Amino acid sequence: MAAPVHAAPVHVIGVRHHSPACARLVRETIAAHRPAHVLIEGPADFSGRIGELLLGHTPPVAIFSYVRDATRNRLSWAPFCDYSPEWIALTDGHAAGADVRFIDLPCWRASETGAKSENVYADAERRYAEASERLCRAFAVDNVDVLWDHLVEAHPHDGLAERLATYFDLVRGEADAGREDTAREEYMARWIAAAAARDDGPVVAVVGGFHRPALLARLATAAPDPAWPEVPDVPADTEVGSYLVPYSNRRLDAFTGYASGMPSPGYYQRLWESGQEDAATGLVADVVTRLRARRQPVSTADLISAKALGVGLAALRGHPHPARTDVLDGLVSALVSDALEQPLPWSARGPLTAGAHPVVVEMVAALTGDRTGRLHPDTPAPPLVGAVAAELAALGLDGDRDVRLDLTDGTDLYRSRVLHRLRVLGIPGVARKSGPSAGRDASAAERWQLTGSDHREAALIEAAARGGTLPDAAAATLAALADGRDDVGALAGLLYDAALCGLADLAGDLTTRVAAGVRSARELGPLGAALRVALGLWRHDRLLGTAGSPLLGAVVTTATTRALWLAEGVRGGDVPAEPARLRALAAVRDAVRDGGAALDLDRATAVGVGGRLFANQDVPPDLRGAGLGLCWALGEPVAAADAVPRSPSVLGDWLAGLFAVAREEVLADDGLTSVLDELVSALSAHDFLVALPALRQAFEFFPPAERERFATALVARRGGEGSGRALLRVRTDPVLVAGGAAIEEAIDEMLTRAGLADL
Amino acid sequence: MTAKDDLQRPPAEVRFADDLTRLREQDTAPRPPGWALSLDAARRFVVGDAKLGVRNKFVGDPSLVDRALVTLATSRGLLLVGEPGTAKSLLSELIATAVSGVSTLTIQGGAATTEDQIRYSWNYAMLVAEGPSTRSLVPAPLLRGMSEGKVIRFEEITRCPLEVQDSLLSPLSDRVLAIPELTGPDAMVFAKDGFNVIATANTRDRGVNEMSAALKRRFNFETVFPIPDLDTELALVETESAELLRRSGVPVAQRRDVLEVLVTTFRELRGGTGRGGGERLSTVLSTAEAVSVAHAVGLRGWYLRGEAGSAEDIVECLAGTAAKDSPDDLAKLRRYLEHDAARRKHTQAWADLHGARLRLPG
Repeated sequence: MAAPVHAAPVHVIGVRHHSPACARLVRETIAAHRPAHVLIEGPADFSGRIGELLLGHTPPVAIFSYVRDATRNRLSWAPFCDYSPEWIALTDGHAAGADVRFIDLPCWRASETGAKSENVYADAERRYAEASERLCRAFAVDNVDVLWDHLVEAHPHDGLAERLATYFDLVRGEADAGREDTAREEYMARWIAAAAARDDGPVVAVVGGFHRPALLARLATAAPDPAWPEVPDVPADTEVGSYLVPYSNRRLDAFTGYASGMPSPGYYQRLWESGQEDAATGLVADVVTRLRARRQPVSTADLISAKALGVGLAALRGHPHPARTDVLDGLVSALVSDALEQPLPWSARGPLTAGAHPVVVEMVAALTGDRTGRLHPDTPAPPLVGAVAAELAALGLDGDRDVRLDLTDGTDLYRSRVLHRLRVLGIPGVARKSGPSAGRDASAAERWQLTGSDHREAALIEAAARGGTLPDAAAATLAALADGRDDVGALAGLLYDAALCGLADLAGDLTTRVAAGVRSARELGPLGAALRVALGLWRHDRLLGTAGSPLLGAVVTTATTRALWLAEGVRGGDVPAEPARLRALAAVRDAVRDGGAALDLDRATAVGVGGRLFANQDVPPDLRGAGLGLCWALGEPVAAADAVPRSPSVLGDWLAGLFAVAREEVLADDGLTSVLDELVSALSAHDFLVALPALRQAFEFFPPAERERFATALVARRGGEGSGRALLRVRTDPVLVAGGAAIEEAIDEMLTRAGLADL
Repeated sequence: MTAKDDLQRPPAEVRFADDLTRLREQDTAPRPPGWALSLDAARRFVVGDAKLGVRNKFVGDPSLVDRALVTLATSRGLLLVGEPGTAKSLLSELIATAVSGVSTLTIQGGAATTEDQIRYSWNYAMLVAEGPSTRSLVPAPLLRGMSEGKVIRFEEITRCPLEVQDSLLSPLSDRVLAIPELTGPDAMVFAKDGFNVIATANTRDRGVNEMSAALKRRFNFETVFPIPDLDTELALVETESAELLRRSGVPVAQRRDVLEVLVTTFRELRGGTGRGGGERLSTVLSTAEAVSVAHAVGLRGWYLRGEAGSAEDIVECLAGTAAKDSPDDLAKLRRYLEHDAARRKHTQAWADLHGARLRLPG
């Protein structure tokens, strides 16, 4: 596999990141050839700091890099575990006295597309998915991970290098590499060619296997120039940084789907340490221990059966010892005696979701392992720690103090945002005593209590792993809090937090998750509350600077669509009005009326839903009224006066819906007042009592001044003059009035019995 | 036309006789006792082998097939569970064919299934004339499977009453079936190598939970899932419905955009993943149902109007298949057409679907 042409022999090892078999191959190659240069796919701007990596950490650790400029805000990690080929190349290469360098483009160059967070050592295979899928079909295996186990990890010894080369040639095939890959390969090839041209000993290059065929092709024609390529300069107005952070198996395994590297770090750690047979036994033991700790029964017979199945599957699939999925398949066949709710995660290659079978959950936990990396104490700390301390000092927010802020003041608003970000990150010693909150009247004053804390620095180092800067870290934290939540109210709260942090447009992840939560909301009431928060922020929150934010706009659109959908699904007789869902429809009205074209909300759809709600007798009366109100408020001509139901048991609820959504239109329509007056006057005493509570609730939707307008109109209609205020405030003791009414009713009844009622 | 072509649906060993022959010829690996093929060849019979020209017959995770075959080689039975229409029965037929060479030793479970239909019954005329003997005994699939060393299939096992299910207990654990009416060596039938049971059960029939713990323990459960991705399901629906239409004498090919609308609708109503974040229908919306709707759409298009069938036809067929007699489902379907179809109106087929929403009954 040595590439010719150059003076010094060059060994390009194509690896899969985090593959123990590849790590062993790297170790053997370095031991056999004692190279002068070990070149590793990794950010070239970190080459000068390779010493930091060799301080004596406990993997997994990662190089954490961030880049921020006007258009991008990207975080990336290059994780290393004990058995990463890159880690072995680093440590063994260094021990062998070789010159060790990273040769890939810096992380800030690597992506012009600006994905927000990414695993640098994600497999390039997602770009070659088609070829991989073809191979999976040909070998009849579930997915690429199983294929890799089958072809590589299950047979780590004979002719591995050739097998790897064939595999990567096949996968890379004739595929045209993207612009980004081409640039990276061109750059890496220049480093390798330069190392070879120096002619001071063998060269070993450890690169992602997908790049190997292209690198060999480039090396065959490269000019022998011994000058090292330049590390690109960071452009002005771009901020970049790289720091070592402790990593964990959980995070290694957390990149799911195509962005993931090799899964199951706990298993492969064991494979690396003690070989395939022990890894299989250890996995079974681990799963059983975990299950028994959870009081799930696992009998000896089950274990015998699992073992037999695992060995049988290995034999069927041609593995000398049970490989990862042989063990897993054996265990699941033997231990699960129910129907599963979701496909097995190692078959479907997706994350576990709620409702997974407990046995499968423990199996996945055992695969992941619970190792956490530790950095050597001398490792330079991430910049966030110092940056936050400096920023707090500059803003006068250090030490113990009470702080009062006026949010209309630019500097105070910035102070408030910094404090909110710290609060969201859970940094100790930052507590808000009062200030504006979602769904209340906006207040522009805020009070904070700050106390110095010894734990603050530790918390900041942890927070730094979530983002290189305070806004990033806060945004990532909010997004993580929102993940998988379907409580729409809490999601709306997070959105408001993002606005308080001044992150409404940074928190793209958060917004996507809120939108996902909103999309699956089941209750109209809480959804309406969330819609009101989002709409309020989008429409006119100039204080927090969120007015017109496109991301919030997207949430408003989703919530409106969903609310219409949910409203149309409500069925069930003449139940009392629910103010929460009426407020939701009022929020829908505002969203469609104010957001309309800007938010891609179709008025006709909303009117359609309103019309169907109104016309359907299975829909509760409040929603029927609200449906009519929605059409009316959105400018549809309606004959509201004719539509008022006559039945006293639904009248109030129906009106509540109408008033909630079309308050202004109702006030402007005299006809409706007349109809109501006639209707109510015609009610018998009993019917009136039936209708009264709901009617009362309906008129609650009008503020006092508007209720007075109503009353005045009524007085005028009955030929009276002056204000209707007196009608709204009863000065007499209500008990007395009720007593009087009871006497009158008794007399009426007596008259009726005596046949004198009509006289 | 050969005899094979007359049959509506010949058994797998007839349909795939060529595959079996080729695999048998090439099969040098050791066979589990009583098996017609080696494990590896049996696997390739199901998941396909391009080199031998054996086609993949099961859309789903190949590891499921591995686990199923290895389970059958051990002493446990295999229970395939899953939503209706996920090709459980097809898989059981294929595996039985691969392992034993026959797929017809089948018991169809149901409320009326009795032990006679599972174990054995008698030729009563002969029983009265001669008394109980092996001549008057009429073996049912279980007895035949045990005495011949074959895999038997038990479809919809959880639809059977509990006591009938439990007649499998001693055959599965002790591998023996007692015939108390006979005497001497004939009174005990010991299972030959190669005997095992593949059962299927439907997660919609609430019976799975009611299976006795003793019987559950003698089965390994394998869950069969609906097809995970749109493209695969679409391709399957396209080929299957094309085959059905060919047999029904429809000469035109279906429009792919119409089929895509159909399959997408099924997937979204099945999983509750519509753009509006819809809800699942309570009715089963399996791939098999999608195939039958596609078939019906093709038939309507051709025999009513002489063309390939349109998205409007989907609406007409959906009411019967997707909503069946449930007014709730009909309402959900209506909402789906009103909201989700409307959002995609920019493509012709979706616009047609939306436009035809008023054709839903009720």
